[in-house]
Amino acid sequence: MDKPVLELDGISAGYGTGLVLQDLSLTVDRGEVLGIMGRNGVGKSTLLKTLMGLLKVRSGRLTFSGHDLTNAPSYRVAAAGVGYVPQGREVFPDFTIRQNLIMGNLKARNDDIDAAMDLFPVLRERARATGGSLSGGQQQQLAIARALIGRPALLVLDEPSEGIQPSIVREIGTTLKQVSAEKGMTIMLVEQNMDMITQCCDRVVFLEGGRIATSVPAAQLLESPALLNKYMAF
Amino acid sequence: MSSVATIVLDASNYALILLLIALGLAIIFGLMNVINLAHGEFLMLGAYTVLSIQMAGGPFWLGLIAAPLAVGLFGLVIEEVVIRRVYHRVLDTILATWGLSLLLKQSIVLVFGPGSHSIEDPISASVMIFGAPYPAYRLFIMAISLLVVTATFLFFFKTRIGLAARGVIANRNMAACLGINTRNLDRMTFSLGAALAGLAGAVIAPLISLDPHLGLGYLVPAFLAILVGGLGSIMAPVVGAAGVGVTENLAATFLSPVYAQLIVFITAVLVIRLAPGGLLGKKRRQT
Ligand SMILES: Nc1ncnc2c1ncn2[C@@H]1O[C@H](COP(=O)(O)OP(=O)(O)O)[C@@H](O)[C@H]1O
Ligand SMILES: [Mg+2]
Repeated sequence: MDKPVLELDGISAGYGTGLVLQDLSLTVDRGEVLGIMGRNGVGKSTLLKTLMGLLKVRSGRLTFSGHDLTNAPSYRVAAAGVGYVPQGREVFPDFTIRQNLIMGNLKARNDDIDAAMDLFPVLRERARATGGSLSGGQQQQLAIARALIGRPALLVLDEPSEGIQPSIVREIGTTLKQVSAEKGMTIMLVEQNMDMITQCCDRVVFLEGGRIATSVPAAQLLESPALLNKYMAF
Repeated sequence: MSSVATIVLDASNYALILLLIALGLAIIFGLMNVINLAHGEFLMLGAYTVLSIQMAGGPFWLGLIAAPLAVGLFGLVIEEVVIRRVYHRVLDTILATWGLSLLLKQSIVLVFGPGSHSIEDPISASVMIFGAPYPAYRLFIMAISLLVVTATFLFFFKTRIGLAARGVIANRNMAACLGINTRNLDRMTFSLGAALAGLAGAVIAPLISLDPHLGLGYLVPAFLAILVGGLGSIMAPVVGAAGVGVTENLAATFLSPVYAQLIVFITAVLVIRLAPGGLLGKKRRQT
């Protein structure tokens, strides 16, 4: 059995003096598509920000592909092979689609940019439009393509379906499944959208009280409404 | 009374020098959020580099090349030793760079004395422009400023590292999460900004009297220029330096230098009141 690609070991992190994650441990296997669920405000985005080096790790260890990335600066996390699609997308509004993609990989050649645009044809149709002029769904597709153009070993996404029309959500889900199948890419998907979770994920973990409360195979999720009630109801 | 051509040329001259200084300030502020109060002293160091080489018997042109290199290198060291430790706390950067400016002025007093020095004219010839003689060296200043400013803009707008730098200005965290090495960009930016100030100090050295306090007279209008143009944009200093430089220079020609500073200051305050983000500034993202 391969070693897990990502290991979080007893991580605590948060904002100011408060801790949002407390002694959180999680391992992600190579090639796995992991769903991360939990109520609003439970700390899903905090978890991804901590992984990306945007928040300080107060205690614990973060290991990725054998590198210790505990409190590494964000650019080192990215360089180690983590692609990040943040909540709210954060495309560069004044840059064109092409320039946004180049930001994801300064060494990208034309065929890399072509390949990124192949993932979402709308990006090619509007290649000269600026990021700020795109619809929410198009921005989300751009943010995903921008993360993938860096050829990450691990792709992390924070609520990619948020505020996006259902047809585009399905298209994004299909693309994620495709890159996971074709490239064997490991994916961590923070989502509230059940369709997307069941469409893409192998396994789902629920976040509660600053740590991982439960882990279940995605297939079991639909048959266990009690789990959803316990961790998702308000 | 000088001719119209001379007045226009003098005003452009001053505006272009101001642009060299303001551009450095603006890119340092844009990328690192550092308000560099020692920027005027970087300029002074450039001028004193020329002086040192003159005192050692070297030609002016060697000083002109050495100044941006020396001050750029100095900026690199200062970034590593001071700035990177404080850059995420605005008040600390202000205190640290203010302290640095005092230290630099004092060091110059120790080495060169408190009095003033002058640099020999590198080109004493004049050129006839619209029937009036105009110093060729001032034309040279305009040419070199235009060249360097153009090169700086080409770097920011036509290269991928320049794109990355603009990405850091727009959204530092996101750029870093995409793998942009913000540490290297900070080093490069601070050093480039310092080098631009050093170059400005070197080119104006023959026109001014060198003393340890010469920086302030340029820092203040350069700051006004980036405030008027708009913080957080690399194009802003162009508009700001043109506005501030031309206004100050014309007012100094027709009224007096004291009135000129007053008029520039009042106009700048008015512009900033009416357009708080500056002329090219964007509205702050509403949250
Ligand atoms: N920038 C911030 N500063 C302070 N507290 C924050 C910040 N962002 C989020 N929080 C708090 O941290 C907790 C977890 O937030 P978050 O990770 O965004 O939740 P989720 O993504 O699961 O909805 C919430 O209580 C939220 O109020
Ligand atoms: Mg969130």
